[in-house]
Amino acid sequence: MKPFVPLFRLAFRDLRGGLAGLRIFLACVALGVATIVGVNSLARSLADGLSRDGRAILGGDAAFSLIHRQLSPAERSYLAAHGALSDVATMRAMARNEAGDAALVEIKAVDPSWPAIGRAELTPAMTPQAALAPKDGVFGAAVEDAALDRLKVKIGDTLAIGAIKVQIRAALESEPDRLGSGLGLAPRVLVSLAALDRTGLVQPGSLVRWTTRVVMNPGGEPPSESAVKAFLADAKKAFPEAGWEAVGRGNISPAFSKNLDRFTEFLALIGLTSLIVGGVGVANAAQGFVERKRAILATLKAIGATGGEIVAIALIEFLAVTLIGIAGGLALGAVLPFFVNDLFGAIIPFPLAPGIFPGELALGFAYGLLTAFVFAIAPLGRAHDLPVSALFRDLVEPGRAWPRRRYVALAIAAAAAFAALAIGMSAERRLAIIVVVATVLGFLALRLVALAVMATARRAPRLSGLEWRWALANIHRPGALTPSVVLSLGLGLAVLVALTLIDNVLRGEIGHATPSETPSFYFLDIPSADIGAFRTFLRREAPSANVVEAPMMRGRIIKIGDRPAEGFKAKDNVAWVLQGDRGVTYSDQPPQGSIVVKGEWWPADYAGPPLVSLEEEIADGLGLKIGDAITVNVLGRNITAKIANLRKVNWRSFAMNFVLVYSPNTLKGAPHTFLVTAAFPHDIGSAAELSILRDAARDFPTVASLRVRDALRALAQLLDKLALAIRSASGVALSTSVLVLAGALAANRRSRIYDSVILKTLGATRGRLTAAFLIEYALLGAAASAFGLAAGAAAASLIVTKVMELDFAFAWAPALEAALGALGFTILLGLIGSWRILGQKPAAILREL
Amino acid sequence: MADPAIEIRDLDLSLGRGAARVHILQGISLTIARGEAVGLIGPSGSGKSTLLMTLAGLERPDRGDVIIDGVALAGMSEDALARFRGARIGIVFQSFHLIPTMTALENVAAPLELAGAADAFERAEAELAAVGLAGRFAHYPAQLSGGEQQRVALARALAPRPAILVADEPTGNLDEATGQAIIDLLFELRAERGATLVLVTHDPDLAARCDRTIRLRSGRIEAPAPARALA
Repeated sequence: MKPFVPLFRLAFRDLRGGLAGLRIFLACVALGVATIVGVNSLARSLADGLSRDGRAILGGDAAFSLIHRQLSPAERSYLAAHGALSDVATMRAMARNEAGDAALVEIKAVDPSWPAIGRAELTPAMTPQAALAPKDGVFGAAVEDAALDRLKVKIGDTLAIGAIKVQIRAALESEPDRLGSGLGLAPRVLVSLAALDRTGLVQPGSLVRWTTRVVMNPGGEPPSESAVKAFLADAKKAFPEAGWEAVGRGNISPAFSKNLDRFTEFLALIGLTSLIVGGVGVANAAQGFVERKRAILATLKAIGATGGEIVAIALIEFLAVTLIGIAGGLALGAVLPFFVNDLFGAIIPFPLAPGIFPGELALGFAYGLLTAFVFAIAPLGRAHDLPVSALFRDLVEPGRAWPRRRYVALAIAAAAAFAALAIGMSAERRLAIIVVVATVLGFLALRLVALAVMATARRAPRLSGLEWRWALANIHRPGALTPSVVLSLGLGLAVLVALTLIDNVLRGEIGHATPSETPSFYFLDIPSADIGAFRTFLRREAPSANVVEAPMMRGRIIKIGDRPAEGFKAKDNVAWVLQGDRGVTYSDQPPQGSIVVKGEWWPADYAGPPLVSLEEEIADGLGLKIGDAITVNVLGRNITAKIANLRKVNWRSFAMNFVLVYSPNTLKGAPHTFLVTAAFPHDIGSAAELSILRDAARDFPTVASLRVRDALRALAQLLDKLALAIRSASGVALSTSVLVLAGALAANRRSRIYDSVILKTLGATRGRLTAAFLIEYALLGAAASAFGLAAGAAAASLIVTKVMELDFAFAWAPALEAALGALGFTILLGLIGSWRILGQKPAAILREL
Repeated sequence: MADPAIEIRDLDLSLGRGAARVHILQGISLTIARGEAVGLIGPSGSGKSTLLMTLAGLERPDRGDVIIDGVALAGMSEDALARFRGARIGIVFQSFHLIPTMTALENVAAPLELAGAADAFERAEAELAAVGLAGRFAHYPAQLSGGEQQRVALARALAPRPAILVADEPTGNLDEATGQAIIDLLFELRAERGATLVLVTHDPDLAARCDRTIRLRSGRIEAPAPARALA
């Protein structure tokens, strides 16, 4: 084996010829790599931002949250021994203006030390203590703009909250610990703990989250991460049955982080798809490269280079160009977090710590290189058998259709490495496997579609229209655009259609409503003592409503069987049930909207050991079956109950549903509130809903009323923001398709010019040639669109039903819109290219031929 | 003839497939002595270039043996043939086929580099000087005249010191005066190095400068001309 150095020298010398014909390839690689690196770097910036600002977001080094109850004196003194404590309470409540209009708000009650870390911004500028302190016997409040708008109040006005009135002293612009206090559906009202105490909203069983933050080593250096972890572990050991949610500043919200990971992963997978679509451009470029270099490579062969050395030279040149594309993509992707931080940093609710992340860059580099290798090695491998006889005469034996086995094997090995990397690096392995398998199947199917289109065009009966004959001949002749157009456009469009349909299903889910079943209102925190009066109120104000009520308290799952919930590996789709606390209830009969699918419901007068009914899918995800035990901490008490039956719940109705329903004797003595829903047989209109809301707030000031219409609107707005990110990523995939398409058209330009000039010489007009091109592009675009539509629908259906576990419904309008858009674009792009071709003067070209 | 440079026995070659298949070489047998200069002449399509390619190992015959410098090409792999060609056979093309992105010096050094020669550039400089292009090392093909390009091609063909030099109408793309100069140079260098020359040409005067002329017609050797006494 000769040393590689001369091959490198020969390759680099040849590269002096410039990058003609490789610009599209460069753009494809750069765009794909930029997407992957950009998305991953942004996710890392976000994770680092959360970690960097963790102390301020949490309001301390560690936080201990409880529902329903505050810390016991023993717990408090234990925590106080480890640092300075500050308390915050959050709950939902109704706020009313002086005219009686009511709106749901998130109350955040703080002690005078708030915020222990970071700064709160109020307008006009003042300290929180000054804003919240009582003045002339009236407590102050700082209110978010959204609540000021909704209740049509301004600074200086008063709001009624529960049993007291508070004066609005400032607008609440920002809170350092907002993210750590949870993102609610309602706007924030900041009051003091003393004010909350007077509202009468805090009653046994009411849904108040009490959080105590611990600032370790106050006034000194923040403690190390390991010291915080050790403190959390010690606290859990000291109070194993506290039932609190204890988090450190390094891991503020595991659920939020996981969702963030999932979302960025989804975007990264779209980025990967765009890189794969770009791969078609890479293959076209490699093929064009070998064609252009035919004489040079054959000459090298004539003077002693072996087939393998020829391929090595071509590969070195091609990979050198790939490295330029990758470098461009890495640079673009790396600056994305800085760009987002500069442009949108002020409006996104998360802290960003933009940086250059070598790991993400390395991953993008690996993906870029592997893509180039997978798609280029087979076309470049054909150079191995490039006949030198081409240098002597035009007539040569046609080359082999397939490159040698070793190059095919290399391409397969690189593809396997790409798939292994994509799946291995993915936290959502299943989704990654689906994307990889779908891409491989998509490629094979598109190849078949292209062959079928060419075969159909070849066998088409002889048409009388000359333009049609030319168009059909262009579709099936050797070197036709058909495989490139069908592959690039078909794949890009499949991604777009799939995302459009998934988006449509998600929106449908949010807008999904079944009259009488989907409630218009949730009434929360109805004290047990008021439930009778509230029933009467609803009968009077909403006589047609289907009213469902249930006693409710919050509980955290502590043990599954005899294994602690912490660190328990639940199936991904049910992991949420172990994160934070859940609403629990008791009932002597199966709740409305639930069907018992396994086991028996307990008798109405059951008085034995605690029994619980569990939702079927959650039981499966936790590996639980009938007869197993589950321990839940409710009101500071660990309750272990045996699973008596499993229920199937229709979560999508938005009706009241509980994961855990206990036998009445288990919880009946515990203090609790009631949750009531009201569903109407038909839409009663916004005005009637607002009137009920207002009257409920007037008559029952401690009851929080959640209007489902408002909640769904907030959810739709959130979905809009997510959809924007998804659309941007899929836009990249489609842009890559367009690039590939443009590249294929450009590569074909030379032979098109030749054909056009010859046909013009023979008497063809520009009109007839344009018509022929139009027919050709329309037929190709239609074939690719039909495939994109079918494959996109199949992929969306698979993801919706298997991954999201929702019902799939095909929506013609958005899917057709995408497909017709792509068809129109193909024709337009083709015609733009053709117009320039048709503008060529025959004489000038003929002289060159 | 003892130890010939080229020996061809009963060579048959067809190209194309199905109805388009053309029988290009039919039963060709031929022996060329070391140091001999042989001119291949004949009308277009008679098989001259194909015979040249076959004896350079660029085309595999359907039947028959090709033995170059005592080595039978039949059993050799593609890669072995490439290495053999790089070391023993120099080729001069009608269209020069220089690599446009390489300088004259780099073009001449390329076969030496491929052969792993450590002194590739020194030898390339000497070859270019031998063809009268000492001042043109850094010029790219596009910056050279046709005659100069063919001189570079000649230097490149001779650089590995091949035992056999094959030339396919080397003056076909040049004007008469330039062509004459190239031919003079070709014969002079061949004589100096003692290489065997096989030359395809349409030019009877050029063919007459060879030791022997072989006329091809429809893929067959028409009438072997008697060998002229070697100089």
